[in-house]
Formats: sequence, structure tokens, C-alpha cells
Amino acid sequence: MIQHLLHISHVSKHFGGNVAVSDVSFSVNEKQIFGLIGPNGAGKTTLFNCITGFFPATAGDVIFDNKKINALRPDQVCKLGMVRTWQRVKPLENLTVLENVMVGAFSITNSTGEAEANAMEQLQKVGLTDYVKKSAGSLPIGLKKKLELARVLATHPKMLLLDEICGGLNHTETDLLLDIIRGIRMKGATIVFIEHDMKAVTSICDRIVVLNSGEKLAEGTPEEITSNPDVIAAYLGGGHHA
Amino acid sequence: MKHIALVTLIAATAIALPLFIGENPYIIGILISVLMMAALSSAWNILGGYAGQYSFGHAAYFGAGAYTTLIMLTLFNTLNPVICILVGIVVASLIALMTGSIVFRLRGHYFGLASIAVAEIVRLSVLNFECTGGAQGILLTDISLWGLDLNSKNPFYYGMLLVLAVTLAITAYLRRSKTGYYLQAIREDQDAAASLGINLSFYKNKALLISAALTSVLGSLYGLYIRFIDTSAVLDLRLSIEIILTAIIGGVGTLWGPVVGAILLVPLAEILRSNLLGEALVKAGLVSETSGIGIFLKENLAHAHVLVYGIITVLCILYLPKGILGLYRRKQ
Repeated sequence: MIQHLLHISHVSKHFGGNVAVSDVSFSVNEKQIFGLIGPNGAGKTTLFNCITGFFPATAGDVIFDNKKINALRPDQVCKLGMVRTWQRVKPLENLTVLENVMVGAFSITNSTGEAEANAMEQLQKVGLTDYVKKSAGSLPIGLKKKLELARVLATHPKMLLLDEICGGLNHTETDLLLDIIRGIRMKGATIVFIEHDMKAVTSICDRIVVLNSGEKLAEGTPEEITSNPDVIAAYLGGGHHA
Repeated sequence: MKHIALVTLIAATAIALPLFIGENPYIIGILISVLMMAALSSAWNILGGYAGQYSFGHAAYFGAGAYTTLIMLTLFNTLNPVICILVGIVVASLIALMTGSIVFRLRGHYFGLASIAVAEIVRLSVLNFECTGGAQGILLTDISLWGLDLNSKNPFYYGMLLVLAVTLAITAYLRRSKTGYYLQAIREDQDAAASLGINLSFYKNKALLISAALTSVLGSLYGLYIRFIDTSAVLDLRLSIEIILTAIIGGVGTLWGPVVGAILLVPLAEILRSNLLGEALVKAGLVSETSGIGIFLKENLAHAHVLVYGIITVLCILYLPKGILGLYRRKQ
């Protein structure tokens, strides 16, 4: 049997009468790069929030590493080895770049020295070593995205949930970040990847789930997804596919 | 190295200061107030400045220390005051946990609001209980500790200095430790902090407990020093506000900001309260004592220190949002 690291089973999330996510199920295997795509408002970020404990799912189960994690707080989910980045980046603005990454590193050590060494290693990986002493709030958006990535890497996660980590970046920056992400997978981490940019997703993902209006529209390899008429309709609009 | 030399110099000056002043109880009294406010504001700063959780009710912990110590000494007057100080810490910690364990589950301004509410509950309870002396307060006639001359002010000067030094040492250590970084992460962005594995309510409670315990020790010392306490002296909302203003004007979330704030504000309040400014103007011949302005100053300036605090705070928020030390930081 294949080892599922993350299993989402019939997850729904309602906000009052609004259904943001409706009965979504899928599984992510170890060392996969898994894409979660869909138009604006499809429920991708909401699903991330349900998985990482920011708000509990209304129905359904989230199983991570053979443990049910529905009712856990975000910090407990992080301690289990699953960590997320934010679509709207959340740097700790008045701390330095190094200190930002150290905060991530402290989840696996109590020693300031070890946290600093770990943080420097991650900053090297994403190419931010020139900025260690700069305050995080002063970085431009592209570098803030890299900082988000370095900070979660410092927690030595088994699984990373990346929420539009390439959003707002130009092609060169995107390619650089995708290379870093491939490198992370090589080291043994599993990645779930929310992205708008179909090109970025299809070039890097092993498997993709498409959400539309909170429901799962399709699942498959990048080739299957790009040739799926439902997906094309959802992306190109219309919806009246013949 | 420059820092260590500077800190050593400041410490040596503070230790030697009473020797130069001799037995001038008025000046020593003001210095004790400066040290106490510096320590109170530094203790508040651990929670308010580093963790970003503004408490508007620190008088509750100060009062808990003062009342616990004086009640115990009234009941058993041979007791070692150190034991009373320790019991005071326990009482203050219980009040802190009562507030924190409930309110820190919530985000936003709930803690600030709840801290005022709890402080008022403590104040009104003390006002209405029998054992606390109610509105009359508690008067302590005689205390002794290790053969020290506690009628002199000098032991209390050194007591306050010691607590201030301990508070600053704890803050300096925390800043470079996991807990300190976690508190600052919570201040900066709670969602980001939680997603990186930080148990928000645990660390907020930890900061609150450290802060409350130190504040309670200062309350105990103050009670032993003054030997008369009532709710308006140790449990008033005004005290909580003064603690916050001292930190804000000096520099919130900096190690030395609260100390700078206290060195500036406490003597200023004293000058206004004792009408030294009015007298100086008369002496300098700028204002005649019998003129309208002279009489006005004499009658009103003494009450003006709260107004002056207010004006300084507004100016600080407008022009020095990071406090006086923030200005120094920016120049670096």
C-alpha cells in the first residue's frame, strides 16, 4: 500500500450559510509535489486554514502522518511537522531577517546558538544572506516571499503548504523559487502548493487537484488536468461546455 | 565591550549615590520613587513591550504584594518579611493566572479590557473586606529584618535597586532567548507566530506571570517602606496608567526605555507637585509672589503634574512614537 502523508476526507467548511469548501477529499503521498489550483474564491486558502488548524472544518477529517489533526491548534500542527506559508506574507516586521527565521528554528531547539545556525543555513538556501541584519518589514515583496519560505524550512517540516508563494513575482524570481522548492523535495519533504499560475503548477507538480466554488472539480496528473474540459471551462469562464 | 563598561558605570553610580547624598531623606525618597517606577515599568515592559499585550491593571499585582505583606506582618509581627514577599508573589501569580488563562485564549483588545476589570475587582474587594482595613488601609508600626535599620531609607533604596537590576537582567536574558523571540513574534503577528509552532496562550501567560511576580515584589517593598497603604496608594488605576506612560515615553520594547522614562518623569512630577518651579520663578524675580500670576502658579501648578504627563504623552505619540530611546535607535 502507498503511504499517504496527508489524507483529506470529505472536508467541508461553512461560514454561516456560506459554503466555502464542500465535501473535498484527496490524498497526498510522501515526497510528492501536490498542486491545489482553482479560480479566485475556489476555497483553496480556506482548505489550508482547515488543514493547519486555523479554523476547524465543519465536517470531515484531516489525517496527517496517521494522526487525526482536526481539533489541533496551529502550533500543534506545526510541531507534528506540517507548516504553511501565507498568501499575504506575514513577516515579523520589527525583527531582523535572521530573527524571523530563528523564530521558525526555535520550534525544534531551545538553544539560541543552534537556532541561529539553522536560520543561517535556510537563509543561504533561499539566497537571503545579504539581508540578515535588515528588518523584515523593509524587504521588497519578492524577498519577503523568500523569507516566508526560509522561516518554514527552519522548522524542518515533513510537509510544507505553500500558499501562492510565487504570487506577485516575475518570471526569473518564480523560476528561482521553483528550483528551491524542487531542492526541498529532493531532501525528502512533501509539498502542497496553491497557485494561480497554471504554468508554474504544471511544470512542478506530480499531481493536481482543482477546486471550483468549494468543490473538487478534477484530480490527476498535470497532463490530465490541462486537457480536462471541465477545468478549461472553469478557467476560461463560460461553463457552458458543449 | 562598550556596553559592559557603560552598564558597570551606571551600576556603580547607582550604588554609590546614597553615599554622596548623605542623610537627605527627601532626595533619597525621590530616588527610591525613580527606581521603583523604573522597575515597575520594566516589569510591565516584558509583557506590554515584548509580547505586545498591554495590561492596564498592573496596580492589581502591585497591590497584591503590598497588601499580602502588610496583612501578614500585622497578624504575625515576628515573621521574616522575605516570607511575606514570597507569599505576595503567589497571590499576584494567582490573580495573573485567573486573568490570563481565560482572556489569553482571545485575540485583540480583550486582555487590556479584562486587566482593568480584574484590577477594579481586586480594588473593590480590598475596599470592602475586613482583614484589609477597608478604606482605612493598613498601618504597620514596627518591622525588622536581619538587624537592618529600617527607619533609614537607605535599605529600601538598595532593595529597589536590586529588584530593578534583577528585572533588567531578566529582560536582557529573555531578549536573546527562545521565550523572548517568541514573545516578540506574538507581538508582531499572532497568525504567523502560531503557524511557526508558538503556543500563543502559553507564552502570553508566561510573560504575564514573570511581569506580575516582579511587580508584586515591588509592591511588597513599597509597603514595607511606606508602612501605610490604602487602595488609593497601591491599587489605583492611576498607578497602572503611570507605569504604562513611563514605558511609552521612555521607549516600549527596549531594555532601557522604562528606566529613561522613570528618570525623566518621576522627578518632573515631583518638581510640579512640590511647586519647586513656581518658587524658582519667584526667586529668579521673573514672577512676583503677590501678583496674579504668582498666586495662580502657587495654587494650580501643584495639581498640574497629571496634565503635564498628558501633554508629554501626546507629544511623544506624535513625534517620538518609539519613545526617547527610539530616537536614539533611529540615529544609529
